[in-house]
Amino acid sequence: MTNSPPNQPVPASTPTDLQATRPPVQISTTNSLPTQLPTQPPTTLPPPTLADAAPTADQTGPLTGMIAVNDVSKFFGSVVAVSDVRFAIDSGVTALLGPNGAGKSTLFRMMCGLTPTSRGTIEVLGADPRTDRNVRGRISLVAQQDALFDHLDALGMVTVSARSHGMDRPVEVARRALETVELSDVGAKPVGQFSKGMRQRAKVACALVNDPDVLIMDEPLTGLDPVQRRNMIALFHQLGDEGRCVLVSSHVLEEVARLGSRVLVIAQGRLIASGDYHELRSLMDDRPLRIRLGADNPRRLATALVGRGLVTALSLEAQHVVVDTLDADAIGRQLAPLALELGVRLTEVSPLDDDLESVFRYLVEGR
Amino acid sequence: MSLDTSPDAVPSERPRAGRQRVGNLDAVWLSFNVVIRQLTSRGRIIALTSLALVATVAGFALGRADADLEAAVRLVSALGFAVVIPVVALVFGGAAIGDLREDKTLVYLWLRPIGRWPIVVGAFLAAVALTAPITLVPVVAAAVLTGAGGGIVAATVLAGLVAVVAYCALFTLLGVWLKRFIVWGLAYILIWEGFIALGGAGVARFAIRKYTRSIIVDRTGVDLDLADFSTTTGVIVPLAVSVVALVLASWRLGRQDID
Repeated sequence: MTNSPPNQPVPASTPTDLQATRPPVQISTTNSLPTQLPTQPPTTLPPPTLADAAPTADQTGPLTGMIAVNDVSKFFGSVVAVSDVRFAIDSGVTALLGPNGAGKSTLFRMMCGLTPTSRGTIEVLGADPRTDRNVRGRISLVAQQDALFDHLDALGMVTVSARSHGMDRPVEVARRALETVELSDVGAKPVGQFSKGMRQRAKVACALVNDPDVLIMDEPLTGLDPVQRRNMIALFHQLGDEGRCVLVSSHVLEEVARLGSRVLVIAQGRLIASGDYHELRSLMDDRPLRIRLGADNPRRLATALVGRGLVTALSLEAQHVVVDTLDADAIGRQLAPLALELGVRLTEVSPLDDDLESVFRYLVEGR
Repeated sequence: MSLDTSPDAVPSERPRAGRQRVGNLDAVWLSFNVVIRQLTSRGRIIALTSLALVATVAGFALGRADADLEAAVRLVSALGFAVVIPVVALVFGGAAIGDLREDKTLVYLWLRPIGRWPIVVGAFLAAVALTAPITLVPVVAAAVLTGAGGGIVAATVLAGLVAVVAYCALFTLLGVWLKRFIVWGLAYILIWEGFIALGGAGVARFAIRKYTRSIIVDRTGVDLDLADFSTTTGVIVPLAVSVVALVLASWRLGRQDID
C-alpha cells in the first residue's frame, strides 16, 4: 500500500458550507485530542441549526454525482434516523463524520439499497442500488457490524465474495485482495478465530474483489492498530486516486483528519456541515475551550492567567481551576513557564470539552 | 449541498477487472454452498439426529411387539410426519435465510449482482439437503422395523420426501419473513397442525400433515381420520405450496431491510 497526496479541496460555495457559516479562523495544532463519543440513539428532529443542510434556491434541483443523495429522510416508526439529507459526491475519498447514532450507518444502508428511503432519492452511479442489479455489482460495502462467514478461512471468505460478483479467476482475485490488506499469510485459520483487526481487513478484502466504482465503508478503521490504520488510509487514498468514489465514516476526528480533505458532518440525522476538513478544524479550534488545571495553589495560578489575558472565564475550586480560553495554543505555551515562575506545582491539565460531542454541539447549537 | 458534481468528476474510464454476469444456476449453487456450511454445526446435527432416532427406536419397539399395519402407520404418521420431519425442517429451513439475516452475513449475498430467487432456492435446497437424510433415514427405518409390510415403507418414502420439500419451503419463507421464525414455526406445527387442523376437514386442508397422512393412507389402505386425499393430490398440493412459498420468499427478500 502506498500513500498518496490528499484530494483536492472542494469549493465552499453554498451557505451551508463551513466557510460560509463561520468567519475565517486561525488553525491551532494543540487542540487535537478528540476522543470517542458515548453512543446515542437516533433522535427526533432537532430544531433548525446554524449549518442546516437545506438547499438554497439554486440548489433545489436533483443533484448528480457518483453518489447523489437528494433530500433523503429515513423514519423508523416515529423516530427520525436521517432527516432531509442532501449532497452529492464523486471520485476521491470523502469522510462522513458523526457521533454514534448520528445516522451514518442508516445513510450507508440506504446508499447500498439495503433499506429504502422514507423520503427523497438516492442514486449511485445513476441508478437505484435497491432495484438495479448491475449497479450492485459496482458497489462495495464494508459494513460496521462484525459479520463474516466464520467457518471459512480468509481465502474462502473472499473467494465467495469474488464468485458472487462473477469475477474471472475468483481465487486469484481473492488472493490479490488479501495481499492488498496484508492478510495473505494467515493460512487456513477460520476467520471466526481472527482478531478484530484481521476481521476488519478481511471485510475490506471482500469489498475490493469486484473492483468497485463506489466503495462505502462504515467505520473500517475500528480495531486496527496504528500501522494498519496508516496502511489502510493510504489504500483508501490510492483507491480514490484511481477514480473510485470512496466514502468512509468515522466518529473519531483524528481519523477523519487523515482520511482526506473532504468531509460531511452528520449529527442527529441531519447533515450539519460539509466541505474542507481544514475549515472544519479551524472552526473547531476557534471555539472556546474549557480546561481544568490542577495545582497546589490554584488561586495564584488563576490570578496570573487572568492578568495575562489568557482566559475569558474561570471557576476556582480547592485543588484546581477551570478556565475558558479562546487561545489554547497560548495556554499550552505559557502555562509551564508561568507555573515555574510562580512557584506553583501543576498536577493536572485536562481539556474538558475536547471531544466530538462538544464539537458537534458547537457546530449545531453554537455553544 | 454538493461537494463535487461537475461533469468532469464522473467516474474515469479505468481498466476494470474481468467479470461475467452471474448466472442464476451459479447463484443457486453459490447460495447452496454458503448456506449449507452455515447450517452445519455439530451440535445441531447431533441434537436433530437424536430427535429423529426416537422414531426409529419406537418403530423397533413396535416391531418387537408384533403390532399390525394400522399401528405402524399411526406411529409413522404421529411421530415421523407430525414431529420429526416438521421440527427438523423448521430448524434448517427457517435458519437457511434466517440465520444469515440474524448474524448479518446476508449482505454478502444480497448486495451482489444476482437475483433474489437464486438466493432463496439455494438456501431452500441446502435445507432440504440436510433435512432429508437426518429425517428420512430414521423415519423410513422406523417403518421397516415395525415389520408391518403392506407398502408402508414405500408410502413413508414418498410421503417423507413430499413432507421434507413442503416443510423446508414453508419454513424458508418463515425465516425470510419473520425474525422469530422458530416460535412461529413451532406454533404452526404444534398449535395449527397439532390441534386446530384436527378440528375438521375444512381446516385440515390448510395443514401439510393432512396431505402426507393421505399419501400413507392411500398407499396402505389403513383408515385414518382427516386423510382422505388421493396420492396425486397429496403430492401435488404440497409441492404447489412449496413453489408459492419460494416465490413469496424471493419477493419478500427483495423488499426487506437488510442489516
